[in-house]
Amino acid sequence: MTACTGADEQESEPLLRLDRLSVRFLLSPRRRPGSEVRAVTDASLNLRPGRVLALVGESGCGKSVLASALLGLLPANAQVRGRARLYRPDPVELISAPESVLAGEVRGRGVGLVPQSASTHLTPVRTARAQLAEAVRALRPEAGAELVDELARRVGLRVEDLEHYPHELSGGMAQRVALALALVADPPVVLADEPTTGLDRPLVDRTMDQLGETARRGHGVLLITHDLSAARRVATDVAVMYASRIVEVGPAEEIFANPWHPYTAGLLRALPEGGFEPIPGHPPVLTELERLEREWGCVFCQRCPDMPGFAPCTGNPELIEHGGRWVAAHAPC
Amino acid sequence: MLSGTGLVAGYRKGVAVLDGIDVEVPAGRVTGLAGPSGCGKSTVARVLGLLQRPWEGRVSVDGDVVDGFRHSAPRAQRTAIGMVFQQPRPAVDPRFTLHEVVAEPLRATGRSEPIEALTEQVGLTAELLRRRPHEVSDGQLQRACLGRALALRPRYLICDEMTAMLDASTTAALVRVVDRQVEEHGTGVLAISHDEALLERWAGRVLRI
Amino acid sequence: MRGRATGARVRARLWGSLGTLVLVVLAALIVPPLFGSGSTVHYEAIRLPPGWAHPFGTDSSGRDLFVRSLAGLRISLLVAAISAVVSTVLGSAVGVAAGALGGWSDRLLMRAVDAVNAVPHLLLGIVIVSLYRGSVVAVMLSIALTHWATVARIVRSEVLSLRERPYIDAAISGGASRLRVLYRHFLPAVVPQAALSAVLLIPHAVWHETALSFLGLGLPPHMASIGNILGDGRSAVLLGAWWLILFPSLLLVATTLAVSGIAATWRDRVVPRRRSELSL
Repeated sequence: MTACTGADEQESEPLLRLDRLSVRFLLSPRRRPGSEVRAVTDASLNLRPGRVLALVGESGCGKSVLASALLGLLPANAQVRGRARLYRPDPVELISAPESVLAGEVRGRGVGLVPQSASTHLTPVRTARAQLAEAVRALRPEAGAELVDELARRVGLRVEDLEHYPHELSGGMAQRVALALALVADPPVVLADEPTTGLDRPLVDRTMDQLGETARRGHGVLLITHDLSAARRVATDVAVMYASRIVEVGPAEEIFANPWHPYTAGLLRALPEGGFEPIPGHPPVLTELERLEREWGCVFCQRCPDMPGFAPCTGNPELIEHGGRWVAAHAPC
Repeated sequence: MLSGTGLVAGYRKGVAVLDGIDVEVPAGRVTGLAGPSGCGKSTVARVLGLLQRPWEGRVSVDGDVVDGFRHSAPRAQRTAIGMVFQQPRPAVDPRFTLHEVVAEPLRATGRSEPIEALTEQVGLTAELLRRRPHEVSDGQLQRACLGRALALRPRYLICDEMTAMLDASTTAALVRVVDRQVEEHGTGVLAISHDEALLERWAGRVLRI
Repeated sequence: MRGRATGARVRARLWGSLGTLVLVVLAALIVPPLFGSGSTVHYEAIRLPPGWAHPFGTDSSGRDLFVRSLAGLRISLLVAAISAVVSTVLGSAVGVAAGALGGWSDRLLMRAVDAVNAVPHLLLGIVIVSLYRGSVVAVMLSIALTHWATVARIVRSEVLSLRERPYIDAAISGGASRLRVLYRHFLPAVVPQAALSAVLLIPHAVWHETALSFLGLGLPPHMASIGNILGDGRSAVLLGAWWLILFPSLLLVATTLAVSGIAATWRDRVVPRRRSELSL
C-alpha cells in the first residue's frame, strides 16, 4: 500500500517514492537495556514534480530524521527499513545506496538541501558569489559563470548582493543564497528542512513563496516544518506526522478545510486564528511507542479530544484511503 | 509598571541596536512587542530583564529606577522580572534535570517549597521532571523554562519569542498558562514576537519597533 | 566503515593502556614490600647482567634492579599524582575565578599565568627545589607550582565560553548570586575537563620529577625514584652496564604512555559531540 499525494495518480510519475520507510535508533544497552527509539514508522509518500509536499508535526515527531534518512545522514546507531526510491536523474534506491552514490549522485544532484539555518550553513570567509561559483564548478562544470547570475535572479537576489560575505547578508538574503546553492545542479527534488527557523513572518512568507516558485518550475519540494501557517501558504499536499507515524496525507486545501485525523484538527484549532486551543496532554515518549501501540492500538488515543464527526478509533495505525486522501484509523465513515 | 525610557543599547562599540526606545509594560495585562528580525527586540528584553546595561536611558521597576544590571541589580529587582527565551535548549544547564531547572530559582533564593503546583500549571508530569534536557523535546523544555520563570511569582514576565520554535499546540498551551498568570496574579507581560497573528490574538496592545 | 575501524583502534588503545597500567601499578605495589624495597646492598653481586635471578640485572651496589625500579616507579608515581592533583586544584581555582570574575582580576591572574609559562618549567622547578634541597615536599611543590598555569588557562577558557550562555542569564534572572552561579553552573561544567587535565599532568609530573632527580636536585638519594636510579646508573653505562639505563627507562615510558592512552580515550568521551534530534 502506498499513500499517494497529488490529485490524480495518472498526473505524473513521482520523483521520490517512500514505501514503508522506518527508522529506529538502538540505544546503548548499558544505559537503557533493550530499548529502541522509533523515529519513523512505515512512512509512505509520493512526491511529484510541481508539487510542494509539506511534512508537518511537532518537534521530535521524527520529520527531521526522515529527511536525514533520505540523504543518508543518519548516525551509526540508526536502523533503516523500507524503501525510498529517487527516480531522477537516474533511479536510485536511497536506503541501500552506498555512500559514494549518495555523495556523488544524490546530495546536491538528485536532492538539493535547503538547510535549517542558512547563515551558519554558508562559509563565513567567502562571498556568496564565490560559494555559488564553486558549487557550479563542482556540480555543473559545463555551465559558465552566467549560471551564477541566473540562479541569483531566480531566487530574487540582486547581482550586487552576491559580492557580500555571509555576515553582511540579512537572514532573508542568506536564506535565498542557500536556496540558490540548492538549485545549482537543478536537482529534481528540493528538500527544505525547517527553512524558516528564526525568520520573521514577512521573510517566512517570502521564503515560502520562493519554494512555491521552485515547484512551479518543475521541481518537487519536500518542505519539513512545524509552522502550519507557513505550510498553508505554499503546500499543495500535506502529510501530518505524529509520534513517528504519518497520520494523514492529502491535498493541502482539503486537509486545512476539513481535517480528518483528530491530531490534524487539534493542530489547526491551536493556531491563533483557529481558536488557540491546545491539544491536551503530551506526545508520547518515543521509546514507549511500541508498548502504547500494543495496548491502545493508536498512539494518539490518550490525547484524543472528544471531537464530533470522528468515528471511534479502530485501533489500527494503517492508513485508510478515502477519495484521494489517506488517514489513520479515524476516517469518518 | 516596568518601563524603559530613551533606551540606547548595543553590543559592539558604536553600533547601537536600540536607538532611544520607550517601552512600558503595565501590570495586569499583556503588552505585545513586534518588529522584523534584527530590529533589537531581544535587546529590549535583555535590558528590561536587567541582564544588559543600556548605554543610555533608564529602566524602572514599579517606579524605582534601576542602578545596577546583572549581578549588580538588587536580588528583589531581578526576581521581580521573569524571563523566557526563544531557544529553550541553550537556556537550561544540560546537567540539570527538569525538576532542578524549575526549582533552581527557589533554591537560589533560599526557599525549599515544593514545585508540584508550579509544574502542574505548566503541564509537566513527574516522569518528565526526572529527565534531562537532551531527553525531552523543545516544547517540553520550554514548559520547564516557563515554570522556572514563574517560580518566584514575578510581577513582570518577559517572553522573548517564547513560542517561535514550538508547534501550534504547545504554543497555545503556553500562552494559556501565561494568560492565567495575568488573570490570577496581575502579572504584567511583555510578549515579544515576530508573529503578528499571535500577538493580535494574545496581546491587548502591540508596540512596534 | 572508517568509523568502525577507528572505534576498534580506540578500544585497542584503551585496553592496551589499561592492561599495562594495571600490570605496572600492581607490580609496583606488590613486588617491593615482598623483596625489601631492593635497597639491600650485595657487594658480591655488582652489575650482574639480566638473568633468571635478577630479571633487570643488578646495579653498582649489587641491588636488584627489578625490585629497585618498581620501588622507584612507586615513589615517582606517588609524587607525580599528588603534584598533579595539587596543581589541578590550584589551576582550576585560578581559572574559575579569572573566568567568572572577569575585568581586572582576570587580567591580573592571567598575567601571572603568562609569567609562569614564560619561564621554562624545569628551570623554575630547579629554582624552587634548590631553595629547599632534598625534601619530597619541595619536589612536589616544584611540580605543582609550575604546572597549574596550563590547567588555569584551560579552565578559564571553558568558563568564559559558559559565561555567555543563556542559562547563566536565566540563573541571574532567577536570583542566583555570583557564588551560586559559580558552584551550580561553572564548577560542575569544568570538573570533567579539570579531572582530565589532572590525569594528563601525571606523565608530565613523572618526567619533571625524573629530570630533577637525575640532575641530583630531586628526591633525597635514599628514596629510590626512577630519576635517582637513572642518575646513579648513568656512570655505570660507561662500564657496559646498559641495563641500568634501559630497564628503568622502559618502565617509565610504558607507564606514561599507558596513562596518556587512557587520558586520550577519556578526552574523546568528554569532548561533547553533536547530538542529533533523536540519538538520545
